Amino acid sequence: MTLTIVTLVPSLQNTNGDAENAAVLARRAAWAGLDARVVAVESRADLPEQVDAVVLGSGSDASLERSRGRLLELHDELRRWGTEGVPILAVGTGWELLSWGIERPDGTTVEGLGILPGRAVPRAGARVTEDLVVAERGSGRVLVGFENHARDYVGAEGSPLGRVRAGQGNGRGSGQEGVVMGEVIGTHLHGPVLAKNPFLADRMLSAMADRAGLTYEAGDQARAVDAYAESACRAQIAAAGVADAPG
Amino acid sequence: MRYAPAILVGRLTRFAARLRKAGGGSAVPGLVVNRIAPNYLKRTLSGFPQGLVVVSGSSGKSTTTKMLVAVLRAHHVDVFTNPSTANISQGLTSALLERADWRGRVPGEMAVLEMDEGHGALVMQGVDARVVTLMNVMVDQIDRFHDSEMVAGMLARIAARANEAVVINADDAYLDRLADKVRADVSVHRFGVSDAVLASAPRGLGYAATTVARVPEAGGVRLVAVDGRSGTIDDHGTHVTVELPARGIHYGVDATAAYATAKALLGERFDAKTAADALSAIPAVFGRGERVRVRDQDVDFVLVQNPASYQLNVDSIEPGTSDILFAIGSDVRDPSYFWPTDASSLGRVSIVSGSKAAEAALMLAYDGVEIDRVEPDLARALDDFLAAPPPASGTKTIVFSADSMRRTRAHLGLTGAE
Repeated sequence: MTLTIVTLVPSLQNTNGDAENAAVLARRAAWAGLDARVVAVESRADLPEQVDAVVLGSGSDASLERSRGRLLELHDELRRWGTEGVPILAVGTGWELLSWGIERPDGTTVEGLGILPGRAVPRAGARVTEDLVVAERGSGRVLVGFENHARDYVGAEGSPLGRVRAGQGNGRGSGQEGVVMGEVIGTHLHGPVLAKNPFLADRMLSAMADRAGLTYEAGDQARAVDAYAESACRAQIAAAGVADAPG
Repeated sequence: MRYAPAILVGRLTRFAARLRKAGGGSAVPGLVVNRIAPNYLKRTLSGFPQGLVVVSGSSGKSTTTKMLVAVLRAHHVDVFTNPSTANISQGLTSALLERADWRGRVPGEMAVLEMDEGHGALVMQGVDARVVTLMNVMVDQIDRFHDSEMVAGMLARIAARANEAVVINADDAYLDRLADKVRADVSVHRFGVSDAVLASAPRGLGYAATTVARVPEAGGVRLVAVDGRSGTIDDHGTHVTVELPARGIHYGVDATAAYATAKALLGERFDAKTAADALSAIPAVFGRGERVRVRDQDVDFVLVQNPASYQLNVDSIEPGTSDILFAIGSDVRDPSYFWPTDASSLGRVSIVSGSKAAEAALMLAYDGVEIDRVEPDLARALDDFLAAPPPASGTKTIVFSADSMRRTRAHLGLTGAE
């Protein structure tokens, strides 16, 4: 059987290369000897019958309403995937659109899809564009990426992705980053977060494989490539001024 | 007289910078003069008798500037221009100093300047341009330009300095919208490609957003055909064929932009044949980059500036090229925005280098490219790459970001940045 990873509205939601996390999952599945494909879903008509994982990247503020419109077509599916344990990774404005809503500085609100708890709120200072280093809640493992967002996030205090070691994360003095609910992850970690932090990719792949009655074990090629990720993360952690190495 | 002391200091600084490092320190004199005579740049730019022309946008501004200068000079206009590496404030002042007399005056009837889209709005504060030409809005340097709206906003501020005309790429949806907002007394000239040319670009034109409809024949200067290195420009029904510096639709778009701008500037004096001849005389560019002779061998240099140029340039590397050095430096703060590109056609890369070597290797590996070696030390990577036996097929090719290009040139003792 073939594992199907969908990337939602990539034409609008791939500003930072976040939608490429779908390709990262597919590539790692292939390295593990599993059949996998990526399906780009721009509208409901593109939706495949079987969905094993979902990636939703970040877009620009100008396209928030348009993206929301496209995602609303998939509202039922998104709810169902979330409840059934289909791994979902949502980044930046993609995450914000899956929240309760997005508050703009002028007081207007973009209503979210309510898949993840919390909401995006205006940020007092300038837009954040810097390295983000996070210690994962529970495991303590280090997640590394780059953040690029103009808003803070509140209401995720009960189940954040992790604790901020360097950078801003959810902001508002929370010291937290991201939100996790079941297999649904919302994060400010932009770009190829699954390539940079392969343990997160492998956790998603294991969940996908389990649901499909398959076994996932990272392939040899993945181990070689993960060494590049580790060097890249070490460099970024050092640049961000955090003392310890990735866990 | 007003600027004589500042000019003298600038000259001495340049002299000192060159004593310290041959060919180096080129932006430092500009930095010094900008500090002690903050109005020098503004006054000089505003002082050209036939005005100032500014070319900006995410990509293609260097080539277009070069082409426009060639067309204007062919029409006997005495033009001052800046080298493409000097497109921000200090560099621009340094470039002016290079040509200035002791009072700071720069010869030339008209200035044609390539302007960095980020710094342009600042440099242009208080400076009036005659014509502003805008090339495109592409996804680029996310840490600097957060999204396309931000780039479009910066270009709008540069365009607002035009007091005679704005020349815009009407295929770019951001620029097309911007054209609706120029002052009523400023004319808008459009250029673009035909449906056929757009259809022949399998990955599109690389703009952040492309307009739905193409420019009609009566609506502007259009690129209607590209065949190898030959491009055909349709100027309101008159077809003009030019030879492009290399294969590629974007070179045709650059030529069309230069043609449209020259026409807007020269009016009655503009001659289509003179323009075509000048465009065709632009020296050829090899393999989207440059072929150089170093250490007794030919090496192709391929510069990667943003995802769109990365894709075009990688696609243009001869498949099967066996020896590739791939270097990404500190100018790429975070390479996430390059991930939507596809470098699988490279197949194999001999050495991945530069301060972002690990990030680059990670991206290439997920594209399915095999990597023989990762060597972050660029000097060592270059030495080993060039010492290796001649390639099994193709020409040794170095793909680099701007920062790695500068370091490569410095290491190999190559002067000049063009």
